[in-house]
Amino acid sequence: MNPPKQRRASLPSKLFLILPALLLPGCTTADLRLFHPVGLVARAEMHYTLILVITMLIIIVPTLLMTIIFPLRYHHSRNAKYTPDWHFSLSIELLAWGVPLAIVAFLCYLTIKGVYAVNPWAPGILANAPGASQPPINVQVIATDWQWVFIYPDQGVATIDDLVVPAGRIIHLQMTSTSNMNGFYIPQVVPMVDAMPAMESKDAFELNHPATYTGFSTDFSGAGFSWMQFSTRVVPQAAFDGWVQSLQSSPSQLTYAAFQKIAQPTVNVGAKPAYFSAPDKNLFNEVITAAMQGVVYPVPDSFTKRVSDNSAQGAQAPASPQ
Amino acid sequence: MQVALDGPWSPLLGRLSLAAIPYSNPILVSTFAVVVVLGIVIVGAALRYGKVGYIWREWLTSVDHKKIGVMYIILGLVMLFRGFIDGAMMRTQQLLADGPNSPGYLGAQHGYLPPYHFDQIYTAHGTLMLFFAATPLVAGLGNLIVPLQIGARDMAFPYLNATSLWLTVSGAALCMISLFVGEFSNATWVGLMPFSEMPTNPGVGVDYWMWAFQLSSLGTTFNAINMIATIVKMRAPGMSWFRMPVYCWSSLTTNIIGLSIFPVVTVALTMLGIDRYCGTHFFTAGYGGNFMLYVNLFWIWGHPEVYFLMLPAFGLFSEIVPTFSNKALFGYPTMVAASFSIGGIGWVVWAHHFFTMGMGPALNGYFSAATMLVGIPTGVKAFNWLFTMYRGRITYATPMLWALIGLVLLLIGGLTGMMLSASVFDYTVHNSLFVVAHFHCMVLVIGAALFAGVTYWWPKVFGFKLDEKNGQMYFWTFVIASLLVFVPLFYLGFAGVTRRLDYIYNPALKPLLWVSEGGIGMYFVSLFYFGKMLYVSLRDQIPAAADSWGTGRTLEWLTHTPVPFYNFAVTPQINARDELAWRKAKGLEGVQPTQYVPIHLPNNTAVPVILGALATIFGFAMTWRIWWLSLASLLAIIVVVIIRSFDKNEGYILSAEDIARMENRIALASIVAEQPKRPALVQVEAH
Repeated sequence: MNPPKQRRASLPSKLFLILPALLLPGCTTADLRLFHPVGLVARAEMHYTLILVITMLIIIVPTLLMTIIFPLRYHHSRNAKYTPDWHFSLSIELLAWGVPLAIVAFLCYLTIKGVYAVNPWAPGILANAPGASQPPINVQVIATDWQWVFIYPDQGVATIDDLVVPAGRIIHLQMTSTSNMNGFYIPQVVPMVDAMPAMESKDAFELNHPATYTGFSTDFSGAGFSWMQFSTRVVPQAAFDGWVQSLQSSPSQLTYAAFQKIAQPTVNVGAKPAYFSAPDKNLFNEVITAAMQGVVYPVPDSFTKRVSDNSAQGAQAPASPQ
Repeated sequence: MQVALDGPWSPLLGRLSLAAIPYSNPILVSTFAVVVVLGIVIVGAALRYGKVGYIWREWLTSVDHKKIGVMYIILGLVMLFRGFIDGAMMRTQQLLADGPNSPGYLGAQHGYLPPYHFDQIYTAHGTLMLFFAATPLVAGLGNLIVPLQIGARDMAFPYLNATSLWLTVSGAALCMISLFVGEFSNATWVGLMPFSEMPTNPGVGVDYWMWAFQLSSLGTTFNAINMIATIVKMRAPGMSWFRMPVYCWSSLTTNIIGLSIFPVVTVALTMLGIDRYCGTHFFTAGYGGNFMLYVNLFWIWGHPEVYFLMLPAFGLFSEIVPTFSNKALFGYPTMVAASFSIGGIGWVVWAHHFFTMGMGPALNGYFSAATMLVGIPTGVKAFNWLFTMYRGRITYATPMLWALIGLVLLLIGGLTGMMLSASVFDYTVHNSLFVVAHFHCMVLVIGAALFAGVTYWWPKVFGFKLDEKNGQMYFWTFVIASLLVFVPLFYLGFAGVTRRLDYIYNPALKPLLWVSEGGIGMYFVSLFYFGKMLYVSLRDQIPAAADSWGTGRTLEWLTHTPVPFYNFAVTPQINARDELAWRKAKGLEGVQPTQYVPIHLPNNTAVPVILGALATIFGFAMTWRIWWLSLASLLAIIVVVIIRSFDKNEGYILSAEDIARMENRIALASIVAEQPKRPALVQVEAH
């Protein structure tokens, strides 16, 4: 029943040697993107997270230490103090309920404060942002199977899988989806929010320095889900204006009919962008209304099976009108 | 009002055709070959040794709670193995399909599994692990131990008990059939909505998932009714509520939760079924449907379901820690209060599973705060276990090691769970591998408790212990493997890697994926030691004493090892919370009854196993829309139940003389058992 003493000592110590070894690949890479938040909203998320974790460690660390020390200290071979019938202590019970209660109360206060600060619909933290004095840039996001359509209603341009925004301005995103639920997420930048068919959801952010980030879908939506990346490019205001102007003369226009073709199941391998001018002013609302009226872009089983042997161009289903 | 089907349909075979057999997929074909060979070996062995009649009479038609418990556990372990293979395939796919230049094999563009196959695998992994591995293991241990701990002869409703088992088996059977006939769902174990609806998921996969889930949850509902009735009505004389072992308390809480939540998911799945079969719009996005209704209903079941599995695990720790600390459980009343608090809070936190679906800060704030409250009673439980060990006499037997690592994992899982419950953090890692790592930490707590429980009570059921040496090797390799697999997943979550990806676009994450894959390799090593442990234990069969671990405290260690089919020769009178410890202190543990009274026992019945078979046929027929077969099997189920209800068989009476004779034989066998090198000469005779 009792293992030899040396195993008892050696195996746990081996175990604890493995833990730091596991941390190494993590520490040496900058790919742990959430540790490098950018912009007010993401930094607020990280800030609250850190305070929460440190507060929790106040209780986790001593408990972990007790979990390690007690079994070693009171192993039968040690002949430590033994009180077989001691089974209740009001003061310990009061501490066992009281300390977690106090810590949880503080955590609740903090998390509620935090959720108002980063609330994707109207982040409290953006109220005092440098860009708050200027009107926001509105972008309408439509998740299709399996691409992202970005419409700039005020600028009169639209893109697929390429979100371009000016630095120093607050970006307001309105989101919906054609058939399935998709999670809209740009790590380091925005809170994750689902884009849902027949509904409108919102998100907001502000970035002050030009850079490029990768966003993607986080809620499974079918065979092409793994390829739902899009680039997020933050550019200076002048470059943004120039970009908009160059698109405005683009020959392909995003009418509702054109959108219906785009919304057919499509795996866009490599997230190749496409650009449009003159998007239908009402396109975003039309997509929501259509979904409410039962319009779905079906994904036949044969299509799902075919995604296995698609070429580098990606699989494109035959257009089948609903 | 039948919906338009994607593909052909015939009145005789429904949607079923030869094309449904995936004979062109080398992975499935080789799996099929392995399953067939295993099947031939098992059936062949049964025939060769003339055991078919024995298996039918003594096991398949048994209503004995111990045999049903063992069959639940066998089902759970087999499904655990399949679920593990699914998990290993997923990790390997993500390792291979990392980055745009990663090669593709077997027709996949990256890795070796195309999305069509990968998506089914992770759906099957989640479904199997929760409904057909964890749930049967929890139900099996409950079946085995609760009646013994409260001094009962059997469950309150033995026939219903067997029916619960065979309904669960029929769900598992449907999952296994889906491997070789047609396809399984690709809509995740939660059934994403509206993705699971006909237009976006026209195949039979979702139907397989739905019926397997539906049948097994029916079984679990029945089991919950049975457990509650047993605990409330069948406690031995003298066992007041506050003399009941903590494991029974946690079993009671868990089954109250189970009884209140499983009907919710039954209704939700029925509504989905009506959508898919009749073309209604309960959960579609359009035509006035509301898929958020499904999301809410599902998680109103889904979150308490977590505690449905977790509370028995806590109960197991509460039995094992005192035994191997040789000390009474610390803080019994607050342990009971904590179980009920966890169960109660568990009902009102469901929406933390969809913080990102736009609830607004007030609701998100409420659900964050409510979720964090769970941390308080959970913390209380951890402290009580720690203070049970404090000033104890601890031995590191395998069950105790599992309990200790369970406690460590609970701290890691608890920390990350509290992080996730803050919606401000959840906005950054929702649906990421961080979440996956967190809930695997938690299910590993359940896993550790179940391995602890199986090892702990194994001698009580089979009469010999599991081999300690290989058991400890299994323990250490399993723990190292778990850390290697899941710690990198926390980091991958911080790298922004989403769950359910068959392709990861960032090739820089390769090292973390390799570490995780190394853990999978380690799991295979632990599997080897698990097998070796079973083999060595079955080969040696060293007889164990009634109080197998020497420091048992509760009632089940009072009766013989292995437990005779009538459990206790005379119904014990309960005098204390830890009855055996009380009797030991008074020097009464060896006292034998002077006379026996006849025992009323239930007869075996083939009805439950027939019902299970018919339910499998019904689920299969509904999946493939073979209407005549669905109707026929449904009618057959109704007829069988009606016939059974006219059965006047009220069991049989075991006479006092018979009991005396059998008790005598057991006493004789235990004398022989005291000479360790000799096998037991006399087997306890089966009825």
